[in-house]
Amino acid sequence: MPALMMQPDLSNVVVSGPVRTAALTAWQQQGWPGPRVESWRFTKLDRLAAREITPASSLSTATAGDGLAMAAGMGAHAIQIVNGVIDPASLEGLPAGVTAGNLSDDQGAQDAMMALAPPNHPVSNLSMAVMSGGLVLDVVGEVARPLMLIFEGDDASLSAHPVVLIRLAPAARMVMAEWHQSAVALSAPLIGLDLAAKASLDFVKIQSEGSTTSHLAATGVSLAGEARLTGFSLSVGGEMARLETHVTMAGEGADCQLSAIYLGRGRQHHDITTVLNHDIGHCTSDQVIRGVLDDRARGVYQGKVRVAEDAQKTDGQQMSRALLLSRKAEVDAKPELEIYADDVVCAHGATVGELDATQLFYLTSRGIPEAKARAMLIEAFLIDAIDSVEIDNLAQILRETATRWMAQTGLTTDGNQHG
Amino acid sequence: MTALLEIRDLHASVGDTPILKGINLTLNAGEVHAIMGPNGSGKSTMSYVLAGRNGYEITGGDVLINGESVLELSPDERARAGMFLAFQYPVELPGVGGMSFLRAAVNARRVEAGEEEVDQLAFVKMVRAKAGELDINDDMLKRAVNVGFSGGEKKRYEILQMALLEPTISILDETDSGLDVDALKIVSDGVNMLRAPERTMLVITHYQRLLNHIVPDHVHILAGGKIRKSGGKELALQVEETGYAGIDDAA
Repeated sequence: MPALMMQPDLSNVVVSGPVRTAALTAWQQQGWPGPRVESWRFTKLDRLAAREITPASSLSTATAGDGLAMAAGMGAHAIQIVNGVIDPASLEGLPAGVTAGNLSDDQGAQDAMMALAPPNHPVSNLSMAVMSGGLVLDVVGEVARPLMLIFEGDDASLSAHPVVLIRLAPAARMVMAEWHQSAVALSAPLIGLDLAAKASLDFVKIQSEGSTTSHLAATGVSLAGEARLTGFSLSVGGEMARLETHVTMAGEGADCQLSAIYLGRGRQHHDITTVLNHDIGHCTSDQVIRGVLDDRARGVYQGKVRVAEDAQKTDGQQMSRALLLSRKAEVDAKPELEIYADDVVCAHGATVGELDATQLFYLTSRGIPEAKARAMLIEAFLIDAIDSVEIDNLAQILRETATRWMAQTGLTTDGNQHG
Repeated sequence: MTALLEIRDLHASVGDTPILKGINLTLNAGEVHAIMGPNGSGKSTMSYVLAGRNGYEITGGDVLINGESVLELSPDERARAGMFLAFQYPVELPGVGGMSFLRAAVNARRVEAGEEEVDQLAFVKMVRAKAGELDINDDMLKRAVNVGFSGGEKKRYEILQMALLEPTISILDETDSGLDVDALKIVSDGVNMLRAPERTMLVITHYQRLLNHIVPDHVHILAGGKIRKSGGKELALQVEETGYAGIDDAA
């Protein structure tokens, strides 16, 4: 590993069991990926690696954020994870059909988690080894109440390493959200979503971390036959964020809709990285990625769709669009298709640009002041993507979060002040 | 009497190519003028230049609304000064809700006039009343602006905007293109309802048939970036018979 990189202080961490010990060894061998690792070429970890951080080990103070209010607003059961440690009190009264278990001493679940986790990913190894909090949620049947995981914590010297494995039994259905609002140095959640046949999950993640937090998330997903995942991520907070998701289509007829919006300003860095493995035929995946960047913010979209030789009749789509509001904002988009089958429908595309001049002219020709017309088009660009979220209260949270970001960025569709 | 819209020796280019080569036109209150011309004569350029679209260089002349030059004004300022352009190709705005778009436009005009912004409920009533006359149903009003509209629906929606904004100067750019007979009648009726002594209209068209429905007071033939001939409504019929070539020769 590069000598200059600061490592988390692991002296007080107790790593037990073969899975976590193996993960620790892998972490110690590989460390933080340097710029020569292709998948980390656009997202450099120097700033993070230069900070001294200690993995969290005990529950401490939570941050004041919108998570609880949002959970209440959508009638969700909130599970609070503070500095990466699961608050046991919030596991009381889980919705019917959801059972919680402890991942930190469950070898089988740890094995399952590592099988799902993005391979050779620093967070997969480090967070499994360190595991500030480990949770297994087993889901059966149709869960009436949504679940929200709220990740918080205000200690800027800590790194948080929560590991959560969620297993949906055959035909189980659930709506869930991840809300990240911590102020820790490094927030490194490792999340596994394992959907059995015909299971269905609507999933929304909101990354709204504090302004000095690095958010490095590794999410692994497996979809059995006819399982369905609709996932939507909104990355808006943090100093640097990388949301990496690996999905394996493991059974015929599985369907994965993965959308993301990133909103950046100042010197923020947002990275959306996805790998979709179509290991088996007759599955569909669709990714819609949209970004809006102001100031010197930077965005990265890396999306790989891999279609195995036997995975005929695969339909894999990915489309990334980014709007740059400033000349100093930057985007790297790298959609990739790796196809070994011959009877597939796959397409990808990426555009980076400014607002459409014709649309802007149409709005202003109706008397709408230009600043407001711009805000209307930016809002529309975002709302259009959010409208793919079919669960009303999830869509509402996303719209509110996006609108708040716009207001903070000085983009407002209210009022009619003519400059 | 000051003209509502006066175009004085207007020259405009796209890049290095001159398109408008000295247009003179005066539109007084209460008058409807038609501009006819073959493809490539500069009709659409003229409508865009008047509305203030980027990408056209004004190389000479002036455009005045109520006697004041508007060349320095942005498109939204011209619109709030009373100008409206009905687009030949109305623009789709995915994600922009129709009602909030219409309300933003109406309120921009109201704020300019020192009036109160209209509240949502009153606005919905106002839109429904005008939409009914143009055969625009609630479903169309709920959709994103122009998204999923047929050609005829887009044109009716342009006229709805015009009816809501009550412009003093309306420019209709090939509003008849892509319309069948029934749609043409609905659109024309909508336009005729807006004819008023304090307003003027500039109807740009390739074909005479629109002018059977919207009967103009004056007809001008535009070719090669200049007005070649002006006359009454009978000039339109002459074009129908002889084509533009004949007219140009006569000029």
